[in-house]
Amino acid sequence: MELRDIKALVLLMREHGLLELEIEDKKGKVRLVRGTAAGSDDKPSSAAASRLIARTEPAPAAAPGVPAKKNDGSASKGNAGASGGIDLKPNQKLVVSPMVGTFYRAAAANAAPFVEEGDTVRKGQALCIIEAMKMMNEIEADTAGRVVRILCDNGQPVEYNQPLIIIEPA
Amino acid sequence: MFKKLLVANRGTIAIRIIRACRELGIPTIAIYSTADKDALHVKMADESVCIGPPAAEDSYLSIPAIVSTVLTYGADAVHPGYGFLSENGDFAEACRRSGVRFVGPQARHIRLMGDKPRARRIMIRHGVPVLPGSEGKGVTELRDAQASAKKLGFPVLIKAAAGGGGKGMRIARDQQELARLFPLARAESEAAFGSRTMYLEKYLERARHVEFQILADNYRNVIHLGERDCSIQRRHQKVLEEMPCPVLTDRMRDKMGKAAVRAAQVVGYANVGTIEFLLAPDGQFYFIEMNTRIQVEHGVTEMVTSIDLVKESIMLAMGEKLRLSQRQVKYSGAAIECRIYAEDPDTHIPSPGIVSNHHSPGGLGVRVETALYDGYQVPVHYDPLVAKLIVHAERRDLAIARAKAALREYVIDGIKTNIPLHLKILDDPDFQRGEYATDFLRRFEPAAAGTVEVPRAVGNA
Repeated sequence: MELRDIKALVLLMREHGLLELEIEDKKGKVRLVRGTAAGSDDKPSSAAASRLIARTEPAPAAAPGVPAKKNDGSASKGNAGASGGIDLKPNQKLVVSPMVGTFYRAAAANAAPFVEEGDTVRKGQALCIIEAMKMMNEIEADTAGRVVRILCDNGQPVEYNQPLIIIEPA
Repeated sequence: MFKKLLVANRGTIAIRIIRACRELGIPTIAIYSTADKDALHVKMADESVCIGPPAAEDSYLSIPAIVSTVLTYGADAVHPGYGFLSENGDFAEACRRSGVRFVGPQARHIRLMGDKPRARRIMIRHGVPVLPGSEGKGVTELRDAQASAKKLGFPVLIKAAAGGGGKGMRIARDQQELARLFPLARAESEAAFGSRTMYLEKYLERARHVEFQILADNYRNVIHLGERDCSIQRRHQKVLEEMPCPVLTDRMRDKMGKAAVRAAQVVGYANVGTIEFLLAPDGQFYFIEMNTRIQVEHGVTEMVTSIDLVKESIMLAMGEKLRLSQRQVKYSGAAIECRIYAEDPDTHIPSPGIVSNHHSPGGLGVRVETALYDGYQVPVHYDPLVAKLIVHAERRDLAIARAKAALREYVIDGIKTNIPLHLKILDDPDFQRGEYATDFLRRFEPAAAGTVEVPRAVGNA
């Protein structure tokens, strides 16, 4: 790959806020990491990951991104279904997806899940991954607390603002 | 046939695309922002995916969000509609790289036609008539603009090379005005398109905006489906369109149509597109630009030709050959489209709000394209176009009568619309005689001193 190609890639990464990028073509493979990434030791080895702080929505939990699908007859909306009727207690918070993508509970297919229901998490701990356009985005807890419920299945497509995890802040 | 098509748009055109897909048996995915969770296209599509917050840059204009949706939810085609990313070469390219078919032309054609001075040069080279204008790749400095204007003679139109939507466009009637307006237009272009490159065109008084609909397949077959007269416009926003153009003879239609076909052919264009011309009072016509997408006003052509342009765009994207030859295109009667904007009819200030009651007109030859319904809240974030009323009749005078009857029947309570303006236009004797140009709507404007009006259309359609 030519130097100017790499320069163009760096510009693209900056433009779209990407922290890591891996590209493979006929000429070979290149992996770019931008300086602002968090500590890289605990990154999934299989793929590049950028870290995102989870955006939590306070209770009550009418998740803004979820359409009010009132008797919409013909339309069958499969994917946002998980968010249907979530009962949030006043002391609970909802972790919602910051982007459209695929929800993963673990860093790799054979790896242990980041968290299980009932686990205690510290602020900044990885909760799950949203894969968007081959980019693995770690979703971090924005607060310490206890994982009450995991609302999505591993490998499930999720929408922007879709509820992922219920957390009870410590 | 495509297995699943993602509709990368909202509002009336999203509804239109979903309907076409239903007829073709293609399941659809709607995308929406959090502001649009109750929008009709979300309810109508087979699946719908929230892709971002209200700001268009983070939702309907976000290439990563849309491509991620395509990959995550498994669409094999994307229809961009009009506006938003429909004329963004990077988006078309991103779709192709993701292995999904973009319903539209190739990225290089979008980019080529988006570079207005370059499109002009190509047309000049291939003998398509173009307005006299600044030569080369455009001008960025005032003194070059001054030299160019001197050669052209005033008045001149200052335009943005990356232009669209009337931004960065001003008429200058003398050197003094040019010196004042050129930096202004350039600043506007820089803000809107990130480009300081401008170009000049000779400004034509009393011209009409007449555009030709093009259909082209991947095998270099190109036909035109006749013209639309889009001269009724306000600040480069089309308000009312009609077909046929009231002053166009069959001979002129043939001549301009051939030029439009040539314009598409010389660049190897494929899919639907529109070649915009200015038609001067002396019958001379000039290429101004090409729109590389479906237009807002496509319905007018559909009524007169009985050809479903949205379905055609999908079939052409699948690699089908054109099903019609030029000779098989038949025109029947006259059609008029009234664009209904959610705006104050006098001040043109947008009027978002809750539509408390929506009754759309019906009957023979009356078609309404809208995303409105009872209780729908028109969001503040997007284009104010909320409905298109399209009428069709055997003759122009009958179409005018039908449009008036339908507009009087149309009830949209809760928000203000420009329906009263449409009634004024249709009642105007000059309009009824077909005698109008791009400055027509100024007669209904309160005389405002000091405002700069550019009676020339571009707009997003």
